[in-house]
Amino acid sequence: MNVSWLRGGVSRALLVTAGAYMLVIPAAAGESGFGPVKAPKFNAKKAALGKRLFFDARLSGDAAISCASCHQPGKGFTDGLALSKAYPGSKGFRNTPTLINTALRKNWFHDGRLGTNLNDVTRESLTEDYMMNMDMRLMQERVKQDPVYVKMFKDAGYGEPSNGSIRKAIPEYLKTLISRNSPFDKGTMSDSAKRGFDLFKGKAGCAACHSGPRFTDDNPHNIGVPENPEIWSDPMRHMTFAAFASFMGIENFMNLRRDVGAHVRLHKADKSDVGQFITPTLRELKQTGPYMHNGMFGTLFEVISFYNTGGGTDANKDKALKPLNLTFQEQQSLVAFLESLSGDALTSAKHVWKDKIPSNYPAIAKWRKQRN
Amino acid sequence: MKLNSKLRVIAAGAGLSICLTAGLQAADKFPPLAPLGDPPIPLDNRQTKAKVELGKMLFWDPRLGGDASTACVTCHEPDQGWGFSDSLSRGYPGTVHWRNSQTVINSAYLGKLFWAGAAASLEKQAPSAAKGAVAGNGENDVMETRLAFIPEYRKRFNKVFGTEWPIIADAWRAIAAFERTLIHNDTPLDRYLKGNKKALTKKQIAGMKLFSGKAGCIKCHNGALATNQKYYNLGVPPAERWNEDGLAQVTFRYEQYAKGVTQKMYRKIKDDAGLYYRTKQKRDMGKFRTPPLRYTKYTAPYMHNGAFWDLGEVVDFYNAGGGANDFTNGTMAKNKTRLLKPLGLTDKEKENLVAFLEAFSGPELKMAAPKLPPYAPLANK
Repeated sequence: MNVSWLRGGVSRALLVTAGAYMLVIPAAAGESGFGPVKAPKFNAKKAALGKRLFFDARLSGDAAISCASCHQPGKGFTDGLALSKAYPGSKGFRNTPTLINTALRKNWFHDGRLGTNLNDVTRESLTEDYMMNMDMRLMQERVKQDPVYVKMFKDAGYGEPSNGSIRKAIPEYLKTLISRNSPFDKGTMSDSAKRGFDLFKGKAGCAACHSGPRFTDDNPHNIGVPENPEIWSDPMRHMTFAAFASFMGIENFMNLRRDVGAHVRLHKADKSDVGQFITPTLRELKQTGPYMHNGMFGTLFEVISFYNTGGGTDANKDKALKPLNLTFQEQQSLVAFLESLSGDALTSAKHVWKDKIPSNYPAIAKWRKQRN
Repeated sequence: MKLNSKLRVIAAGAGLSICLTAGLQAADKFPPLAPLGDPPIPLDNRQTKAKVELGKMLFWDPRLGGDASTACVTCHEPDQGWGFSDSLSRGYPGTVHWRNSQTVINSAYLGKLFWAGAAASLEKQAPSAAKGAVAGNGENDVMETRLAFIPEYRKRFNKVFGTEWPIIADAWRAIAAFERTLIHNDTPLDRYLKGNKKALTKKQIAGMKLFSGKAGCIKCHNGALATNQKYYNLGVPPAERWNEDGLAQVTFRYEQYAKGVTQKMYRKIKDDAGLYYRTKQKRDMGKFRTPPLRYTKYTAPYMHNGAFWDLGEVVDFYNAGGGANDFTNGTMAKNKTRLLKPLGLTDKEKENLVAFLEAFSGPELKMAAPKLPPYAPLANK
């Protein structure tokens, strides 16, 4: 809804007011619907199984990387890099998004190309050639070879390990990755952060897109983030992007020198969707820099400065972005507010599989006598 | 025409039963061993020097694989008979393969590739190997795009195939063209068959008589290529690694899953069903294609799962009338070929036969790795 109003050229002040009315409806959620992230229910045994799978490198084609290689708990389930590493032999062309609160997203990946569920996201991440390059049939047989998994799958009610239940267990674990104890949620914000919150809702207009408990509208927008030149100067990044673009049916992909973003999903004929990316959550930013879909900004102050100048330059840039004329102090307050949205690191055994996971497979004894 | 072809089938069937009953006297019913000429070149993939050179580079290039670590040459090493010197091939990192890696030498002559004939041409074999999860584990889009970021390849593909950007199917064509240059037809046997009576030793000549006579090898290993390219179950025992190696057990089950057997069969099967995976006919369980015999001096171990470590063991196996496996003993099927019977060879005869088998191999075909061109950024146009 907000998006179409933006396109209609309604003034920002009116929009923010209208948005506030809308968001006020769940009163229990607190001021402007920005309350704490509601934790989804999950099955503890299934989630524990998903946790072990998440940290197991045997779930990638050459058994070199696990989900946690790029989604590291100590870095808010990101890798701390501008552009992700990707599967060996490839190099990533986007910033690794956090998985904290990912269970509550309406769509996934920076271009929003999956809008179904985390089962599909898990499948995509496991099988995509530049991510984990895993043949799921082989994955199933690897998991079946580990007696720890055989027991865990049975105990979790999945029966025998299968690639289908692997793709159920990992999302169950992801449901446990929920923001907790941020100063914003506990009501312990600094005065500067409180002033920042007012600017956020008011003069700076951030709340037009960064709304709700996760501070995102889950919609694609073009704010003119500059291209990350490394994607085009490093042939391994460029080729990974080109292969992706070709797979997604983007025409003239070898001559592209920009990340087309949501265009891979929407394929609009007028290309007005080129350069749109899904609004990211503002939760846990202290743990998850660098920022933007391509990691172009190293600090939150850079991000605020970018918006203060009205965003970047792009033919398709969202018309709602205008220079904000924030003072230096106001910008600092906004940074303080953003930092108040970061809570506990999810690095304890509750969220991290701490036991050693073997890299090899015990032989099944009396193999010829056992049913497969 | 229809009637004619039916008659021919009946005639062929009759011929087969005559062979089976007549046994050893039937040697002359089979195409005799003959010198090996030039390989057939498909009309739609002609050999050119530039194409063969490109194919050689690609054969060595690990970027034609999932994580850029596994090239064709990784499992087809020139120093290991252009195969891999272990019972089961090494496979993609994190895996082991489930069959013995076959030599690339003289693959140009074969009608079908892989142990059960799953690929109809070298052009089709290369992508199957490059893409299989326990072989190259590559994807077309990634492999093709990698080639585009190697300026030397852009130039060479353009010269050979005329395309602006390299096309992955052309990579397989170039590799196939290179493989068609890996020919081994100047062996002692070839020279002997061309009239040089000194090319074989006395022992080898004695072995050749056994090959075509008492030992009956000629029934399947016949003609210029020393194979009839048909499929048989000899009762080769299952790979020992499946009993003791967890990684090999993973791959074994993966292959059943990937090749689409029934749930019932997946639960029960404990050996490689070979041709069955292609035809899904019970009568094809455990059958593998008769391999050619040239270059075998360098390609140990032998059989589809590398069960035998030298040619002496192979001869012993046949002398015993073959062996037994789940597809011969009724566990899964009873498909052992009736061509195999205990041969009653003496030690001396076995020695002569092995000596003759060595006459199928000339000097080792060595080759140094080509220099591989690097990636480079793609300049704006």
